[in-house]
Amino acid sequence: MDIIFFRVALVVYLLSALGYLGSLYIRRVLVARVSTWVLSSAFAFHTLFFAFRFIKTGQNPVISFHETISFFAWAMTGIYLAFQLKTKTRVLGAFVSPVTFLLMIAASKDLGGYVSIPVALQSNLVPVHVILSVTGEALFALATCAGAMYLIQEGLLKNKKVSSFSKVLPSLTDLDRINHMCLMLGFSLLTLGILVGSIWARSVWGSLWQWDPKQTWTLAAWFAYAVLLHQRLAMGWKGHKAALFTLLAFAALLISLVLVSLFFVTAHRFI
Amino acid sequence: MNIILIGMNHKTAPLEIRERLSLSCGDDINHLAEIMNIPEIKEGLYLATCNRVEVLANAADSESAVERLRAFIFHHGNLSAEEMNKCLYLHYDHEAVRHLFRVTSSIDSMVMGEPQILGQIKDAFRTAVEHNATGVILNKILHHAFRVAKRVRSETGIANNAVSVSFAAVELAKKIFGVLEGRNVLLIGAGEMSELAAKHLISRRVGKMFIANRTYARAVKMAEDFHGTAIEFDMLPEKLRDVDIVITSTGAPGYVLTPPMIEAAIRRRKNRLLFLIDIAVPRDIDPAVGEIDNVYLYNIDDLQDIVDSNLKSRKKEAEKAETIIDEEVTKYLEWYSALEVVPTIISLREKMDGIIRGEIAKSSTWMENLTEDEKRNIEIMANSIINKVLHDPIVGLKEESKDNSALPYVAAIRRLFALDDK
Repeated sequence: MDIIFFRVALVVYLLSALGYLGSLYIRRVLVARVSTWVLSSAFAFHTLFFAFRFIKTGQNPVISFHETISFFAWAMTGIYLAFQLKTKTRVLGAFVSPVTFLLMIAASKDLGGYVSIPVALQSNLVPVHVILSVTGEALFALATCAGAMYLIQEGLLKNKKVSSFSKVLPSLTDLDRINHMCLMLGFSLLTLGILVGSIWARSVWGSLWQWDPKQTWTLAAWFAYAVLLHQRLAMGWKGHKAALFTLLAFAALLISLVLVSLFFVTAHRFI
Repeated sequence: MNIILIGMNHKTAPLEIRERLSLSCGDDINHLAEIMNIPEIKEGLYLATCNRVEVLANAADSESAVERLRAFIFHHGNLSAEEMNKCLYLHYDHEAVRHLFRVTSSIDSMVMGEPQILGQIKDAFRTAVEHNATGVILNKILHHAFRVAKRVRSETGIANNAVSVSFAAVELAKKIFGVLEGRNVLLIGAGEMSELAAKHLISRRVGKMFIANRTYARAVKMAEDFHGTAIEFDMLPEKLRDVDIVITSTGAPGYVLTPPMIEAAIRRRKNRLLFLIDIAVPRDIDPAVGEIDNVYLYNIDDLQDIVDSNLKSRKKEAEKAETIIDEEVTKYLEWYSALEVVPTIISLREKMDGIIRGEIAKSSTWMENLTEDEKRNIEIMANSIINKVLHDPIVGLKEESKDNSALPYVAAIRRLFALDDK
């Protein structure tokens, strides 16, 4: 049952991504509006997937690499949809929905193989750690989308290429605001996630921090975000610089998320 | 079909002729009454705007109606006949319908896609309806035209994108700030275009308005007009901290705003975005200012380029609109041709024959026992009842059609016998 929900969600995500991109291409808001509803229903199916998975196994549904990716996609979509309610930034969906779809493709590998969770991971803190960290990272991903869109829109305005594409993108101020909000919230969640993780690590490995490659890279990314937030809040960084730095910090985060998991020997691996 | 559209617009007639013809814009009613006094004209609509004067009429005899309409225009235009005929255009029937659809959709406007024309036509139509100058035909054409205008507006981008410099500036401001509510504006120097832009901004409910001028008294005067605050010219660098949008149009020979000034201002405003609009020639703002982070500088040429490209894209959208209008004219003609007497009689007969066939089919079970002759007699009787019933209405329709006044009856018959429902 849960697998069916996943597959339906995957297909519906694809439909919404096509709808959003189509709306950019033909520049009609109505199509984007419909796409938002399609995306919402994909999100609902995806939620059902997690719920059924949890009911079926009674264990943390976010534990394997693929599950984590799928949860990442879910969180990103959920946050975007929440934003959509409050701001007029429908076009952000054209960035979010294709990413979500690709993540879902990646997550669909090894779908349905239930893993038996090792004793070390059978703690209530593990799902809390994973959910906080992944949601934080999803917020960073959205901040990055907003940052990238900011740079595009800024480039168009600076170079006086006020084409119809520029008209589709949200205003600079709105994009900067989204970037800011996502950073603040994402940073808080990731910080909490790391704290919870280290508390749990102490109960398993005896120390709060292991200098494991993944931990090190995540810490580096965390520092990058800390610097960015400091510059934003204390130095009044806005607009161009903040957007550019968001992209750089996210690159560091991606390294910790993907590359380290694939190429380094780490204690902090996924099952 | 005897629909006539006669008139002149900004393309065919120079302003002074249009002026003379549109006379005082207030007394449309008298013009309409005068048009309706022409005996051949059964329905009429009189439209006068700054850019066009048009009469749309449904006439019993188009040739003599046109002659009288010409006389009407000639009389009011106070022009030589030659001059008049050069400016006038005259469309009949489906060309008249197409012209009206194009005008209503704002394709024929001086600034293509401008929204006022639709309202002006609606007003003219309301006046005509109030004075009983319209009937089945004009009502239908006008309602159809309003629908076409709506379709063109929603299905093409004809009304998108600013086509004036001051509106282009407002649209840019929206791209930068999102909503303009509460954004403060600084106006440096006076000028028609900058004041127009300021007015557009005020209508978007911007926050405070500051006005600076070399002559302080002039600034005070303008501040009164805009409900703003006048500031001294040397206070400018200071004020740049508090404003988000700056419009400059001074007659100064050198730069009024320089990179060091703007850099300092950006630092003091903690990198909040700053939108500078330089409408002056020679320029008031050093172009190097545009390189500074979070500063957006547009001069008059940049804005004009935007307007030009927007106009170009409106022209492209107009092609799509023409296709829509073609479709709609065809639809109108379909409706109209159904109003002819003969097709209506045919479909009335067809409907009745269908009813007879249906009823005989229903009765086939008990009619089985009858002989072929008896069956045929029943059919003949049914047919002759229908013929008797239809006889008077059909003769009546044919009689009315002789002097072109059958339309209301045809429309009523089609409606009552549901001939248009398929």
